Amino acid sequence: MAETAIILLNMASYVLVLVLVALGLVVVFGMMRVINMAHGELFMLGAYTVVWLQSAGAPFWLAVAAAPVVVGAVGLVIEAALIRHIYRRPLDTILATWGLSIALKQAVVLIWGPASHSVVAPMAAAISLGEFTYPVYRLLLMAVAVAIIAIVFWIFLRTDFGLVARAVIARPDTAAALGVDTRRVYRASFVIGTAVAGLAGALVAPLISVDPQMGLGYLIPAFISIMVGGAGPLAGVLVGGGLVGGTNNLATVWLSPVVAQIVVFVLAIIIIRLRPQGLLGGRDGA
Amino acid sequence: MAPRWLAAAVFVVLAAFPLLAADYWTGQLTRYLIFGLFAMSLSLVWGRAGILCFGQAMFFGIGGYVMAACTMGMLGGALTSSYFGLAAAVLAAAGFAALLGYFLFLGRGLSGAYLAIVTLAIAYILEQALKSSYTLGADNGLSGVPPIDLGLFGASIELWQETPRYYLVLAVIAAVYVALDRLLASPFGVVLTAMHGDPRRLAFFGYHVLSLRLIVFVIGAAIAGLAGALFVAVDEFASPTLIGFGLSTEVLIWVALGGKEMLLAAFLGAIAVRLMESTFAELLGDFWILALGLVFMASVVLLPRGLIATPLLWLTSGRRREDD
Repeated sequence: MAETAIILLNMASYVLVLVLVALGLVVVFGMMRVINMAHGELFMLGAYTVVWLQSAGAPFWLAVAAAPVVVGAVGLVIEAALIRHIYRRPLDTILATWGLSIALKQAVVLIWGPASHSVVAPMAAAISLGEFTYPVYRLLLMAVAVAIIAIVFWIFLRTDFGLVARAVIARPDTAAALGVDTRRVYRASFVIGTAVAGLAGALVAPLISVDPQMGLGYLIPAFISIMVGGAGPLAGVLVGGGLVGGTNNLATVWLSPVVAQIVVFVLAIIIIRLRPQGLLGGRDGA
Repeated sequence: MAPRWLAAAVFVVLAAFPLLAADYWTGQLTRYLIFGLFAMSLSLVWGRAGILCFGQAMFFGIGGYVMAACTMGMLGGALTSSYFGLAAAVLAAAGFAALLGYFLFLGRGLSGAYLAIVTLAIAYILEQALKSSYTLGADNGLSGVPPIDLGLFGASIELWQETPRYYLVLAVIAAVYVALDRLLASPFGVVLTAMHGDPRRLAFFGYHVLSLRLIVFVIGAAIAGLAGALFVAVDEFASPTLIGFGLSTEVLIWVALGGKEMLLAAFLGAIAVRLMESTFAELLGDFWILALGLVFMASVVLLPRGLIATPLLWLTSGRRREDD
């Protein structure tokens, strides 16, 4: 019983982190058709912000709070210097952001070295579940992740900005004709997407090894989640992330991690092939 | 397409190279030539047919492993000839591409960004699978792959030395280049260009777009498989890095930097990047990769036709071609 609870808790925490990463990605992809291959590196930068601030003596939570600001600022620079020029060439965004991803990874290697860093969890406490214990930090991480996901949904579904943003997604030209500054909406959405990625990286930093390659492990599952769920409606991310992350995590109970990942990817590719628009429908994949 | 005199000039220069350079560099350039052949395969599939395959290394890796398994005698003594290995490598890569392409392109099919991400994921899966496959050496790969043996009927002409190996590889590549050049200049090549431009309109004209896509994808995979097979025979080593994510994205960078629409530019792009890597890697150290990433980014934004193809186009056909 307690063992099942732990399996489910681990699954939930993995799914929530994956959804968080995919959420930033889908805001950018669903809206601007920009495939941001550097998203994993923005996630990585969030974790390294914590490493950097913690080594400078800042408390963990301050570092976590600073991560979305730092990474969001990086996102702003990226948008202004790179993405802005290629909005109309969606396939080129894959290549350009891939170059960016290489550059960011290498910049991190140059600054912090290729070795992995560890971040000290802010609390060592654990609650007991029968004969097992479970770290409180993981529970807290889940709560924070749920809150962030809710906030992003609230921004896009309930605020004026969200209304305008969805109008820009649906009919960019009409929105522009009605006086919406689509440029600014794109920029704001891109910064929100990168800030969420940075925050996700900062939050999981104590749980995983922080190294320059850490982004890749999340990037492909996040993309697959988006495609399985559907890139149109924001809720597609919840379905896709839940399915991909949940199945992957659950499968590792019976299979080796490598085989589990292979099985999940193959199933996901079949779903994507059969329903290119994703399980929740929405617009066709371009 | 690059004019033929230019391609001929490039191959003449390459043929003269071993006369002037040390053996070490001939050996290195042999590998770069093979990467150039691999880049040509992606240029055909991506630049000419508009299929953005982010996992082209899967075919390179399949070719490499099949060649290694054959020539190392893992399939039994009768099948260890280099000729058989090369043929099996090409067929295996082409066969896998046919199955995969059928699955990916049938019906409405996947294209654009979705195809890119799915092919990337497949390359990633194959790499992971290879890393945990103990019969194929897992993480360590297969080492001690014998060199190409041109002997027939019991005689043995093993190519151990750098220079003969170089000329063999160069001859194979020149043959592939000429064949592809002919293919692209033929009516089939025109149809391919049309498919790249607007597949739906081509379908209205009565062409079967699925089979066209499949044919190009399979030809591309066969060439990549051939490149992989040559590579393991030259490098004497097959490792999981040949099949996966890393090489798939590297070849993409070579092709994009060189110029994806022009086979010759893609070929030269691969050679140029590798040459620069081996010279600058010492000079710039870790900054080299940073610089490569930045240059790549800039070239995608500013010169989407490629750093080598753009000046070649200026040189050969004036500026007007640029504006289309």
